Amino acid sequence: MQFQKELVQICEKYPQLKLNFQYKIWETDFLRFYQSQINYNISKTSISLSTTIYKGKKSYSFSLKDPTKEILQNKINDVLELIDQLPEDPDFVDLEDDLSKTGEKEKTNNIEKVTLDKKIEILEEFSKAVEPYDFKIYGTFICNYRTLYIVNSNGLDKREISSPIYLECKAVNQNNEVTVLEAYGGENFDNFNKDNFAANLTKKTKAATAEVVDVEAGEYEVVLAPRCIGEYLMYLEGSIHVQSLDTKQSYFEGKVGEKVFPDNVTITDDPNHPELINFDYNGDGHIYNKVPIIEKGVFKNFFVNNYYGHKLKMKKNGADGSALVMDTGDIDLSEMIRSVKKGLYISSLHYMNFINRRETSITGLTRDGTFLIEDGKITKVVNNLRFTEKISDIVKGITEIENKSYTIPYSSNYGEFGIYSARMPHVKVNGFKISSSTKTV
Amino acid sequence: MKKLVYDIINKLNAQNITYADVRFTDSDSQQIYFEKGKLKYFGSDMDSLALGIRILADGCWGFAGTSILTKTSIDKTIKKAISNARTGSKFRREPASFAKLKPIQDSYLFKPVEDPFLMDDKYKIDYHEKIARKLVGNEKVVYSYVYTEFYRQYKIFANTEGTMVDSLVYDSMTKMYVLASNGKESMCRNWPGDMNGRRGGFEVIREIKLEENADRIIEEAIKLLDAPRIKEERADLIIGNSHLALQLHESVGHATEADRIYGKEISYAGKTFVKPAMLGNFKYGSDFVNIFSDSTNKGGMGYHLVDDEGTPGAKVDIVKNGILVDQQTSQETAALLGVKPSSNMMASYADDIPLIRMTNFCLAPGKGSLADLIKSTENGYYIDFTKTWSIDDNRNNFQFTTEIGWKIENGELKHIVKEPTYFGITPEFWAACDGVCGEEEWEFHGTFHCGKGEPGQSMHLSHGIAPARFKNIVCNVKA
Repeated sequence: MQFQKELVQICEKYPQLKLNFQYKIWETDFLRFYQSQINYNISKTSISLSTTIYKGKKSYSFSLKDPTKEILQNKINDVLELIDQLPEDPDFVDLEDDLSKTGEKEKTNNIEKVTLDKKIEILEEFSKAVEPYDFKIYGTFICNYRTLYIVNSNGLDKREISSPIYLECKAVNQNNEVTVLEAYGGENFDNFNKDNFAANLTKKTKAATAEVVDVEAGEYEVVLAPRCIGEYLMYLEGSIHVQSLDTKQSYFEGKVGEKVFPDNVTITDDPNHPELINFDYNGDGHIYNKVPIIEKGVFKNFFVNNYYGHKLKMKKNGADGSALVMDTGDIDLSEMIRSVKKGLYISSLHYMNFINRRETSITGLTRDGTFLIEDGKITKVVNNLRFTEKISDIVKGITEIENKSYTIPYSSNYGEFGIYSARMPHVKVNGFKISSSTKTV
Repeated sequence: MKKLVYDIINKLNAQNITYADVRFTDSDSQQIYFEKGKLKYFGSDMDSLALGIRILADGCWGFAGTSILTKTSIDKTIKKAISNARTGSKFRREPASFAKLKPIQDSYLFKPVEDPFLMDDKYKIDYHEKIARKLVGNEKVVYSYVYTEFYRQYKIFANTEGTMVDSLVYDSMTKMYVLASNGKESMCRNWPGDMNGRRGGFEVIREIKLEENADRIIEEAIKLLDAPRIKEERADLIIGNSHLALQLHESVGHATEADRIYGKEISYAGKTFVKPAMLGNFKYGSDFVNIFSDSTNKGGMGYHLVDDEGTPGAKVDIVKNGILVDQQTSQETAALLGVKPSSNMMASYADDIPLIRMTNFCLAPGKGSLADLIKSTENGYYIDFTKTWSIDDNRNNFQFTTEIGWKIENGELKHIVKEPTYFGITPEFWAACDGVCGEEEWEFHGTFHCGKGEPGQSMHLSHGIAPARFKNIVCNVKA
């Protein structure tokens, strides 16, 4: 790649500076659908370069769209006129220096493989599957393709290609708006089983035709769908990123090696997991390998990046929580539900926000299918509910873990619509605090 | 660039399409971030060019955008937008419609008092460093930051109806934050709140008076560590401008975006409890509640000559004397609802598709000052500065926590309370409003970060707001 070579040459041209480049070529084909028809199709392309220049401990950063070498060179010259006047960042030590590389595999461009016609054909089938229940489908079907080059003055010269697919399909009752969700995420479309997807969506749709009831605020025994426990853990990630130690916002401060959760809870960050969207490097360009986070309830590691690794004198590990995996337990989902006398099955969560990050206290809502469990069976649909809880208490309250796990895709939504995934089982939690009902589904 | 946009429109006019619009944006931004008194980030994103083409053909919308402005890339983008619409029409049951619009040719170029992009960078750094240094030094303050962002966008909009409008706007935002800790718990304070964006240049930063409020937020954050919480199950709440802007935003602004009624945003942003049959009769709030969308007010970041489909800027009542009377609409949703389009279709950048967005979404002023409102409150709390927010998929059930509150007894502010948290159901909450302060308290608060859409867009928008009182609100929720 010619521009990548030019970035290396620019690094060599300025031995007195520390330069860090991230050069991205990105495109997306983004289909949104509603009422079992297309809302709109979006195609976007962009080329961008993010640059940080350090001169000693002084720095300046800038972004350029689709730059040439000359434009970049001129911008660097402008920065050199300014940078001596800036105050230092005493905490800066050095840029990333991990030169180890993965295989930097080529990947199929799924925008070309999963065409708009193909997407329409699939969505027509899902639409027909839920139609007999008077439901229509709503959602998104996205393919991205991105090539990222990371080049810096410490000799990093790396490339990462990604082409994730994200399909989120909601079936919505046309009379009362009860909603259920099925999702797929991955990079190998050959693994997408259309028939299974349609069968799961139909099964959930059937369950959503039950009577809609309300429940009182209070403590409930709940079965959390894989998406839910995954989302809670993603929110807890804020406390695992090493920066949270520096900002005094980490629940895990001083707890490395300490028992924080029950014995049955083991969580790793595994960017090479065969069922997940894979990553080669973290944002600094450090190689990204499997790192244990919680082992049998014991907190093991923070996600340590280059900057805060230096600042807090911790060994950097390249982990960044983009591929969380929770170990499975030993119970079937049906058995788990059977063991609940009166409780709730929660499919998905919405609009969570911290009340106090360090204490992990949070409020949020259920969404896309909340069900009442009575005498071991899912019997009714429940209005969406608000919870006000500490995530740490939710994880501490896990009593059972399913013997099977599922790939849960999720998206950062903004910028380049980064698509990630987690591998999670169903879990049963005691004493889950519902603080109010929304009175709506 | 106008010629480029004009040429694309001409090419599109030669195709057999129902409607098309073309936008070009050239955006600049600069960010300054001091953390714990030290400069951690100083950077810019200049001359960020983008082009977007939206097509309505065969009853379906198609869109393509790019930041690569070569001839090859532009031709590819035109073809892609058309093919996205035509191919998509195979899975479109109800054809999208678009009423004819009156063509407009006009220009609006905003001039800030102090252009931050022409100012000396060293001056801006020194200005912020002085404030950042004021925030450190107290041993109980364990973390602090000052963050400022300047933004400028030049935009050209044209459509196949004959409209061609260009505009230049400047927006600025700033915020400082301190976190105090006693080793057991931590409490934060910020200034001027999360709705900290304003139309303008560096003058906005001066008007927000960071330096003058630095000692105050440090003192309050430390005092909050030992402050009590609200004990009552229910209480009367007076909500200050900074937080009430967010309350308005979440529980009325988003709830009255018409695309949510039709499920267009279900997959990410959500639905709304508002239904078409409610227009003209639904009691959204008390008689004191008057809410409007106003893209004609140049004081807010939501001002425009035309929105991003060519509808002229408009002032539209949404809630009149407590009754829901209209929605924020696009051409397409206005036709479905049988109302006049409200000029709310906006995109963040040219390579984003326009969505129904708040522009200047305002609570109309009532009467009297904040001091008068407090004085007339026998027992309650004055709360402000958002700490956390959450609202359900239908914009019906919300729960907010502010950083600080003040107990009101017999019309006087007494001691502070920590993390006041309240919960409500949207129409019940607005029905509990028994007073909105007057013109003297009414001002624009705004954000750079209203998220909506997929791929997500962060929109700049403003809220005209004055403090208001709400009676008997549930306010004792704990994790």
